[in-house]
Amino acid sequence: MKKVIFTLMAVTSFGQLVQAFCGFYVAKAGAELYNNKSEVILVRDGKNTTITMSNDFAGDVKDFAMVVPVPNVLDRNDIQIVDRSIFQMLDAYSAPRLVEYFDQNPCTPPPVEYDEEMELDDVATTSMAKRSVLKNKAMYRVTIEAQYKVEEYDIILLSANDGGGLKRWLTDNGYQIPSKAEKVLEPYIKSGLKFFVVKVDLNRYNPLANGGFLRPLQIKVKSDKFMLPIRLGMANSKGEQDMIVYAFSKKGRVECTNYRTVKMPTGKMVPTFVKPNFGNFYADVFRNAYSRQGGDAVFLEYAWNVTPSFSGMKCDPCVGNPPYTKEIMMAGVPWANQNGVTTFFTRLHVRYTLDKFPEDLFFQETPNTEMYQARYIITHPAAGDLSCAAGKTYTEKLKLRRKQELSQLATLTQWDTEDFYDYVANGTDKVKSIEEDEENAFPILKLDNEGGGMLPKGVFGFTLVLLLLYSLKRVRVRFT
Amino acid sequence: MIQKALSNFNQETEDPRYFQILYLGAFLLYGVSYLGWDVDAFKYGAVFLSAIATQLAFSYFTTKRYSSLKSALITALGLCLLLKTGSVQTAVLASILAIATKFIVKYKNKHIFNPANIGIIVAILVTNDAWVSPGQWGSDVLMWFLVGAAGLMMILKVGRIDTSITFLMVFGGLLFFRQVIYLGWEPAVWLHKMSNGTLLLFAFFMITDPMTTPNHKRARILWSAALGVALFIASGFFYIQTAAIWLLFAIGPITPLFDRLFVAEKFEWNTTKTVKTT
Repeated sequence: MKKVIFTLMAVTSFGQLVQAFCGFYVAKAGAELYNNKSEVILVRDGKNTTITMSNDFAGDVKDFAMVVPVPNVLDRNDIQIVDRSIFQMLDAYSAPRLVEYFDQNPCTPPPVEYDEEMELDDVATTSMAKRSVLKNKAMYRVTIEAQYKVEEYDIILLSANDGGGLKRWLTDNGYQIPSKAEKVLEPYIKSGLKFFVVKVDLNRYNPLANGGFLRPLQIKVKSDKFMLPIRLGMANSKGEQDMIVYAFSKKGRVECTNYRTVKMPTGKMVPTFVKPNFGNFYADVFRNAYSRQGGDAVFLEYAWNVTPSFSGMKCDPCVGNPPYTKEIMMAGVPWANQNGVTTFFTRLHVRYTLDKFPEDLFFQETPNTEMYQARYIITHPAAGDLSCAAGKTYTEKLKLRRKQELSQLATLTQWDTEDFYDYVANGTDKVKSIEEDEENAFPILKLDNEGGGMLPKGVFGFTLVLLLLYSLKRVRVRFT
Repeated sequence: MIQKALSNFNQETEDPRYFQILYLGAFLLYGVSYLGWDVDAFKYGAVFLSAIATQLAFSYFTTKRYSSLKSALITALGLCLLLKTGSVQTAVLASILAIATKFIVKYKNKHIFNPANIGIIVAILVTNDAWVSPGQWGSDVLMWFLVGAAGLMMILKVGRIDTSITFLMVFGGLLFFRQVIYLGWEPAVWLHKMSNGTLLLFAFFMITDPMTTPNHKRARILWSAALGVALFIASGFFYIQTAAIWLLFAIGPITPLFDRLFVAEKFEWNTTKTVKTT
């Protein structure tokens, strides 16, 4: 029986089928950091949305299936298969980054040194016309609106009259679906959505091609709604799921309209020992920001003008190659090769749970073209002899700066920085605790989940209560 | 003498606009300090200054009465809370237009458009550099309570509680019927939509402005019910995410019709007299 992955995009969203955590990179914190994650590319052009869904499915291909609610019955031309590399490329380009600077020795001034940390289809074999099977209609109140064979995938577009019928149809046709899914299917059916059902035809699948991975599907839909139906994907999932959204628009940044879109902290000076641990560092910065915001915000990680003809900087610094016309077209941007049309790129990071994200994600394009990147800075101390007077002053300043870096680190990550006294006192990058206990290199300070956010909220509440009491007093005066 | 000063103070603070300024100010601080909004002190400053300057200039050439500076502050706060712009110029343009329309676009000595709202609409239409972020408040249930309570006190003082309650009941009722009863979403979806801070601010602070709502109570109830129905249709069927501000703009020119059908005395700011009559 095929295990259906029920979601718009999250073919990787379900615990038992997900790849293992694969460690960290040196100086960028890409999507691979998150266990339970999915990636999706969204392109909005007027009422058209192109959605590309990453496919990191790691189980037996014959068990793969996916159901995606879509607003209309898709044409064969609306379905493409793209290369997996597009996701890796966009992730590498837009991942949160660490940059490094070097202090110059005040005793022997060399030329200014500045270094940036650089880390680095054929037409379907057959296209079948609409076919409606009477049996389907009678037994399940389900209609097969269209059916396509697209390379290794078999695709069916279904419309249904009720969730129960759709569930029975899927079960009887060999799809195993989560028990809670029926309840979630119902609102989509009543809203007039169709269902894009995908499985792999083993006869057309070559396990040796594409590194053994299934390729991402790209679909074009037309709707006033600019949204991602994440609720289906939560049908049988308990925990947190991460989703990285790479959005392209002609105007400017894409933001969420029914949840807050918040910037990640950026431009922060952190200790040099963050460098080999940047992945862990950023994962904790994210976790901390996530709980600080109450677990129901969407985070902006990157926003940049990537128009191929744009003469300005494409990234500062570049973590990966910026996408050019070819890549942008592959991501589903139809206007990438037109002159004079802007292409603005936004990377959003959502960590959603059943209770904090009761609604699907809705988006809007804004004219906001301000560039943004999640960027963290380390500064290496000057090397060589520092015994001159200026050198001594420098050493004092360095100690002060390193103290500040440590306190910044504690604020950003909630790490317990007590163990890093050597970093300030002796100016060494070596951290005692790391050498002693590799596993527990960074003891995380256990703070209240919303530790950072409660204070301003409390102050706000308190102010309002005071104001209320005062107004109440005035109202009473009024009535007397 | 202290007694007299105190009584003057008491009389002066009967003007509900003081509370409105305090509440909106508290919301702005909350947004900046807790909700992670971009702080652009320069832009905020420019909005306030241009609003006050425009109000002073128009007052000087018309009534020579300067008490409505409070209204200018409220408009400026409203713009800071709602309008997002890419440049200071756009923000200033919206601010000047918002105040200017109060003096220019009038019917029977009453504003046609909510000043902050018209400022936002024009900025969006003409500059291509302005937008509103309906998601910026999030959907905290605590927010529901606080905005609701604060708004309630505000409008109790203005005597315009009927608009907020009617609007929320009509919109919330229709939404509940569609989302929960018809479509079958969990009630949490409805609650999430209803506790959206933007919706609540709209209900409690924007459509309670006595200068742009009908004078007669029955007219106000009809008027706000119409807004509720329109918002339900525009957001639920046409997916216009910022429908509220467009609807408030659209209903502006129709408001005098309500005043014509239901005749009642026009609201006057300040002084205990009006407050007592409500």
